[in-house]
Amino acid sequence: MAVYILKRLGLALITLWILSMIIFWVGQQLPGDPGRTILGNLATPAGVAALDHKLGVDRPIVTQYTDWVTKLAHGDMGSSYSFQAPIRPFITSALENSLKLALVAFFMCVPLAIVSGVIAALKSGEWVDRAISVFGLSLLGLPEFVSGVFLIMIFGIWLNVLPVGATPPAGADPFTQVFHLILPAIAIACVLFGYIMRMARAGTIEALNSDYTRTAVLKGLPTKTVVRRHVLRNALLPTITVVATQVGYLIGGLLVVEYLFHYNGIGSLTFKAAQAKDFPLLESTVLTIGVVYLVATLIADITYTLLNPRLRLGGDT
Amino acid sequence: MHRDPKKLDQLRVGRSELENHVIDEFVAGRLSRREFLRRGSIIGLSIPALGATVSACGGANSSPTSSSAPSGVPKAGAKLRIAGVVPTSAINPAQIYDEGGLTMIQQTGEYLSFNDPKTNILKPMLATGFKPNADASVWTYTLRPGVTFNDGRPMTADDVVYSFKQNTDPKVYVDAASVFNGVLTNDGVKKIDDQTVEFNLEAPNGNFSYLISSDNYNMIIVPNGTDYAKWQKTFVGTGPFKLTSYQANSGATFAPNPNWWGGNVLPAELQHIFYPTQQPQITALQGGDVDIVNLIVPAGAEGVLNNPDYTLLDTKSSQHRELSMRCDKPPWDNKLVRQAMALSLNRPEIAQALFKGYAQLGNDNPFAPFFRSTDTTVAQRVQDLTKAKQLLTQAGLPNGFTTDLYTEDYQEIKNYAQIIKQAAQAIGININLHIDTQATYYKDHWLSGIMSLVDYGHRGVPNVVLTATLAKGGAWNAAHFADSQYDALVKQYVAALDLSTQKQIAGQIETLLLDETPWICAYYFDSLSVCKKTIGGVVTTGMGQIFLSGAGPITA
Repeated sequence: MAVYILKRLGLALITLWILSMIIFWVGQQLPGDPGRTILGNLATPAGVAALDHKLGVDRPIVTQYTDWVTKLAHGDMGSSYSFQAPIRPFITSALENSLKLALVAFFMCVPLAIVSGVIAALKSGEWVDRAISVFGLSLLGLPEFVSGVFLIMIFGIWLNVLPVGATPPAGADPFTQVFHLILPAIAIACVLFGYIMRMARAGTIEALNSDYTRTAVLKGLPTKTVVRRHVLRNALLPTITVVATQVGYLIGGLLVVEYLFHYNGIGSLTFKAAQAKDFPLLESTVLTIGVVYLVATLIADITYTLLNPRLRLGGDT
Repeated sequence: MHRDPKKLDQLRVGRSELENHVIDEFVAGRLSRREFLRRGSIIGLSIPALGATVSACGGANSSPTSSSAPSGVPKAGAKLRIAGVVPTSAINPAQIYDEGGLTMIQQTGEYLSFNDPKTNILKPMLATGFKPNADASVWTYTLRPGVTFNDGRPMTADDVVYSFKQNTDPKVYVDAASVFNGVLTNDGVKKIDDQTVEFNLEAPNGNFSYLISSDNYNMIIVPNGTDYAKWQKTFVGTGPFKLTSYQANSGATFAPNPNWWGGNVLPAELQHIFYPTQQPQITALQGGDVDIVNLIVPAGAEGVLNNPDYTLLDTKSSQHRELSMRCDKPPWDNKLVRQAMALSLNRPEIAQALFKGYAQLGNDNPFAPFFRSTDTTVAQRVQDLTKAKQLLTQAGLPNGFTTDLYTEDYQEIKNYAQIIKQAAQAIGININLHIDTQATYYKDHWLSGIMSLVDYGHRGVPNVVLTATLAKGGAWNAAHFADSQYDALVKQYVAALDLSTQKQIAGQIETLLLDETPWICAYYFDSLSVCKKTIGGVVTTGMGQIFLSGAGPITA
């Protein structure tokens, strides 16, 4: 197991290195330059050139990249061009915000989706199954920006019972923070619900149709026990993996939701950095998201391995 | 109107020739009350002196005031939440140029004088008065006594001189360079004594007082020796608020400055919240998350326009777009072709379509309708397709031609460019549109495109646009227009102190530009902000600044 984890970590580092080069190169292709963005469109070319020189963006791209990587290796993310302040606090704050939103969305969606999937499977072919499946698929086809706008209109403006902005006032208590995150979390849950529910339903149906379930039933075990001990344990393995891989999306892939609900998460910080051609900030945010995705995937793989005795013991899958 | 000659005589004592001339013009009825207040403020007559003169002439002795539209008395102690845009870069007062940045610096920073957006009249701020010499080449400012910065230091002439020297430093890029170029150099700012500062200009300039007022948003006064690059850590200034916290990515909070020279500050706290675009700002206002949205455009704000729950703060401004045509390249080197293009546009329809009517018509010159020196007797250019086609025939282009138009993807410009394309098509001009990001457009096409459509922000007087965009060799002369008669007229206009002279020269410039048409300006659009109907005392400017020291919940 330790070798497996070390191998995965090594691959993750290589992936991050490649990602850093890609994002550095892509960043260079964006139109405009940092000096122009900071000083404005009407700034003189001489003023822009002087600032570009001060920032070091007029150096060869390889020099800029190696300089940045060297600093990063020493734990220094550098300073943001546009904010003219150290990057680390921006990343920390944005990541913290994203984690909060991800947690609320996770606990709002995952239990409900799994339970719904299992119920649909147990009532397979009945109206309950059809209702849950159609509901889940409908939500799956509804993009966040559509559901988000509806949620804002209905609960934020017409009924005025929930805040339209996800950012709570400074110094807000945890309850208030969660209160502000309800609407964006629902928008995210709408997308994930259908996906996770379908996985849970399919896994449960497969488990219900398996030989070991039939054997358990024929042994005369009560249905509840069969479902709890034999069906769910096997049925939810792929679902758990899917949920774990969605953690990356929940933290780093919510730009639309963050934008719509005015939330300063890592997604919107990345967007701002790209708009401003703020290379150090852009690279740091993308790498942070990359780390989140890799860690989430690693956890998913490890969880799957731990829960699946065949993998854990090195057997055939 | 009952006059008090004795009082008027007393008021004239000790006044300069120019000040007495303005008083005479008012007494003789050649200046309206508003014009008198404006001209008087330009040449340095104090507000009490202006009020006393109006009173002596039988008018009410009242100072010019500005306030937002809602009536009622704002209450103290409120916590106001203002939606604004994210500042583009660090808050460096000498370098900020964007809406987010300029709104931030004026929360704690102040100017020598304030251009009242409702009257276009200068009001004292950190200077209690100012006087030009006879030819307006030297301006002397008297500073307000007893002003302290929000860190406790007293404000003196040294601070004012330092602030101006920093903003005219030729060695570093400063945003105000566009205003001071050809007007004021680093050596032209001198301290006379602790309360007096003198500006020796490069050339006479009748509107100089506007050029260093709140219209020049960079020109807040900071303490002597301030490192502008680190200003955002302290937000040190003399204004009604002081910084509580600033988070570059999300917002800023301000508390009242108890030592403000202006007296009590009504709000207990200001919370500026940064949004990336207008849509979430409007949503936040509708959802009750904010009280005020500073600066909106009508498109996308339908939910709050003409809605009785909200008050629209409509300030006339000189924000406009310039569609320049290269006067040095065919076919635009023929003024008949340029005139034809200008005649193809239906300006009232454009203003309605793009701004739902919150705009004034432009007449292809830099004189916005709300400038007092604008000669409004010059006929407004109107759409005339028949004449446009005739002009093209006269120019030897009866079958029209194909050309390129370069512009930027910014605010309404993309839609405006489409309208221009359609209008041109009606007279046989086929335009290939090139709509780029702002970065690409400004870098590659702005000043070189055969046709170029660009955005210009608000300015309180037309001086910068007159010189930079149209004078020979002007830094922003995208039309490559060169006309010695125009240059001479602009020089005269800039030097003129007297309104009637300014107006007379403005008329000549407007007529000349209507004939030459180096660029087309179809509209000047208003600066719009919106707040809850229960909030009053909000003062916004055409520049996009928002002054909130007197704002709060209103009681009828």
